[in-house]
Amino acid sequence: MMKRRLKRYLPSMPGDILKIIVMIIFAFPFYWMVITAFKPYFETIQMPPTLWPHDFTLDNLKEIFTGANNILQYAFNSIVVTVSVVVIQALVMIPAAYAFATREFPLKKLLFGIVLVAFMIPEQITYISVYLMFSDANMIDSLWPQILPFGANAFGIFMLRQSFKQINGEIFEAARMDNAGEWKIMMKVALPICRPTLIAAMMLSVIGIWNSYFWPLVMTNSDKFRPLTLYVEKLKQDVEQGLQWNMIMAGNMILVVPIIIIYCFGSKQIIKAFTYNGVK
Amino acid sequence: MAEIKLNHVTKIFNRVKVIDGLDLVIPDGKFTVLVGPSGCGKTTVLRMIAGIGPATSGHIYMDGKDITDLDPGKRDIAMVFQNYAIYPTMTVRDNIEFGLKNRKVPKEEREKRISQVTKMVGLWEMLDRKPSTLSGGQRQRIALARAMVKNPKVFLMDEPLSNLDAKLRNSMRSELIEMHKKLKATFVYVTHDQVEAMAMADRIVLLNKGKIMQQGSPRELYQDPDNTFTAQFMGTPPMNVLDYGKDIQLGFRPERAVLTKEYPDGYAYVRKARTVTCEMLGSETVYKVEANGRTVMVKSRDCDFDAEQDCWLAVPDKYLLFFDGEGKRIRPKNEKERNECIKKIRGEKNGRI
Amino acid sequence: MAEYDREEFARLPFKKKLANWAVSWGMVLPAIVFLLIFTIYPMFNIIRLSFFRGNALNPVKEFVGLDNYRQIFFVKTDFLTALKNTGYYTIVTLVVLITAALLFALWMQKDRKINNVAQVMFFTPHLVATISCAFIWTWLYNKNDYGLFNTVLELFHIPPQNWLSDSDLAMNGIIVMNVWKSIGYYALIILASLKTIPAEINEAAMLDQARGPRKFFKITLPLLSPQLFFILITITTGTFKVFDSIRIMTNGGPGDTTRVISMYIYDYAFQRNNTLGIASAAGVVLMVILILVTLVYFVFLEKRVHYQ
Repeated sequence: MMKRRLKRYLPSMPGDILKIIVMIIFAFPFYWMVITAFKPYFETIQMPPTLWPHDFTLDNLKEIFTGANNILQYAFNSIVVTVSVVVIQALVMIPAAYAFATREFPLKKLLFGIVLVAFMIPEQITYISVYLMFSDANMIDSLWPQILPFGANAFGIFMLRQSFKQINGEIFEAARMDNAGEWKIMMKVALPICRPTLIAAMMLSVIGIWNSYFWPLVMTNSDKFRPLTLYVEKLKQDVEQGLQWNMIMAGNMILVVPIIIIYCFGSKQIIKAFTYNGVK
Repeated sequence: MAEIKLNHVTKIFNRVKVIDGLDLVIPDGKFTVLVGPSGCGKTTVLRMIAGIGPATSGHIYMDGKDITDLDPGKRDIAMVFQNYAIYPTMTVRDNIEFGLKNRKVPKEEREKRISQVTKMVGLWEMLDRKPSTLSGGQRQRIALARAMVKNPKVFLMDEPLSNLDAKLRNSMRSELIEMHKKLKATFVYVTHDQVEAMAMADRIVLLNKGKIMQQGSPRELYQDPDNTFTAQFMGTPPMNVLDYGKDIQLGFRPERAVLTKEYPDGYAYVRKARTVTCEMLGSETVYKVEANGRTVMVKSRDCDFDAEQDCWLAVPDKYLLFFDGEGKRIRPKNEKERNECIKKIRGEKNGRI
Repeated sequence: MAEYDREEFARLPFKKKLANWAVSWGMVLPAIVFLLIFTIYPMFNIIRLSFFRGNALNPVKEFVGLDNYRQIFFVKTDFLTALKNTGYYTIVTLVVLITAALLFALWMQKDRKINNVAQVMFFTPHLVATISCAFIWTWLYNKNDYGLFNTVLELFHIPPQNWLSDSDLAMNGIIVMNVWKSIGYYALIILASLKTIPAEINEAAMLDQARGPRKFFKITLPLLSPQLFFILITITTGTFKVFDSIRIMTNGGPGDTTRVISMYIYDYAFQRNNTLGIASAAGVVLMVILILVTLVYFVFLEKRVHYQ
């Protein structure tokens, strides 16, 4: 019995071993990041490199949280920006996607075209004008330039619209016969059906905002309003005697961990949404 | 209890007139079935009554009150949809309760009605389950319960049984008939299946291309069709309609025709024929028969013939129906008019038809 | 859908019609306002700015007409270098990424436990900030002997390489990092559509004796084409704006070998004096290229895409 199973498995073994090796290659950089975060400086430039911290230390993390140049303001900024963006996006996205999916009105095609164009245009093209706008309004020294430009999530609107569109039309009609108003149909009937898509869109948005580097780099002038990504970059610049990889990796780890936690909670929805992707 | 009246209703959909100046009265408390081939506009009529697909022009009255522009939720009408349209994220109870909550029915009254209705359709045990855990038949019952709980004056049903398997369909059919007897409300039921229509209806409205072909009791439509369309739509296999020249057609039902080996006496219509195929259905047999180059279906309780056999085809006098060139029924008032019809069919030849 | 087709509207009195439309407009209004202010207006404004010489404080100091365009195309050479670098980056990434993602997807196609684990593993880099990945890889690429890749090379007695500071290797090093980061994402999209191919099609192919590459090119690939088309467009637009990884890993160096358009725009916009117009002109060129490439894709490829 065992033998037969083994025999059947044998041909796929080399492939599986290769697969495991590739997986290790994929995971290795993260492993490297984590162990480096717990190494003292001298161990990071040691030859040959150690695959497990020889002198395991929490000093790097301690320095990051309590040192003179600590992470707290940056972390606060990242959290405020990410949460605000997600809340605003949800409020803006749901009615827009619903109207584009289920209602008929003049100019609908043109307005949806704007959404599609916005989805295509990279931030490198828009940021100059946006910066000038906020600069004119004297708002560069605040978190607003990192929040407001992301109020409408074009990709999210597109995804959620697809999802609303796939609801069987009879359900809307049944709800109308049940004397439900348009608002109630949207919130109580349609949105719960599209909840996975909404959650996925929101998560992708969280990941994008949390990880963004270019935008805060060009939209801020002082450390007071900078997010975590710029903190990690700053760790690179702050040293004189060469790069302190232990500190950079410790900062990096703090940047990465929240996203990994979110992913653990919603990986199913994200994978579903990714595989969905509006192209059908 | 309510009578519904459609007054010269037209519906244009994508620039096509789906319904063209329709006048229809749906009597109070009756089980009316709208039947017709797909695309005939039957569902459109139902949706106009429901208020979810408003008419382009014309008026709809309920008990004499104009409801043409009334909100669907305020019409005292409930609808059962083809795909049930159950809210998938709500429990069975929430599904049934949703409409009542939106109508601001007090909680006690809601509880009372829900328990009453769910006991009636057999969902009482499953109130807190999600629809996705239930079978097709049970989902159908949610849809029914959701309609019943509103105590509407009118029930609209859009092919509610088409998604069930054949066995379940038959039992639900009789349940719906019982339900109608109990509730005594006006039922409007849409189907494309003429058997279902005949089995369930007090009254059938047969539609084709947005026009009423005939309305009446199932018996009237079957035995006394106004036109070849009705004659051929009701019953399987359809009525044999034979074209004899430009302004006369002869019709007879397959089960009224007789096949004999010897020349039959005492029949109005007799032809020498040959069986082409023979389908044994158990209690009866359906033959495809060729007579003088025309193909005729015959349904017989006996199975005396095989395929490719010579025989005589005969139809008794009283089961012969006449239609004009456009397919409209000719109802001869007296022997003279009748003889004229027969003469046209017979042509120059004398004797029997 | 709730049907409000034109004919039904025709019946409603104008006031009611307008009220209904007002509700719809109200629902999309916030989104449209945000998009108009932060995407559409900036898109047109950058065209206007490209005709001026100016800086952040006074972006329209002096009208210079098409001079900025003349500068970037005919006077200076750094823009053309950036354009060339971007082109190289885009083409290599496109070819490598699509091929690799397709292979990965086919490789993980069977419903097995190891494949489910692999999917998550391969996807994880996509979640992590580009700058984190860039830092980690810079560390791995480190030219000193404590850099991991050089350590590995040393095991095989190969002399250490100057990965990111060698002008022949730097861009490729960045491409490898970005491919590593994105491969799981694109493999997942392809995998999903692989799984929607009905089993009967595969069975029919088997009965028709189609196997291996023949089956792949004649049956699988055409059925995947809508997803591949989508991926093609996403990757292209993505590679045109690559910035974070290059800024961390090489900052455009060595020399100008990894300076791409996005870095060019960044440098000229606010880092130098009175060159905002030049940055804007470069932005306009980037926008035009994006539009042209998308158009070309749609005109030449969409016909071949097989929609089910």
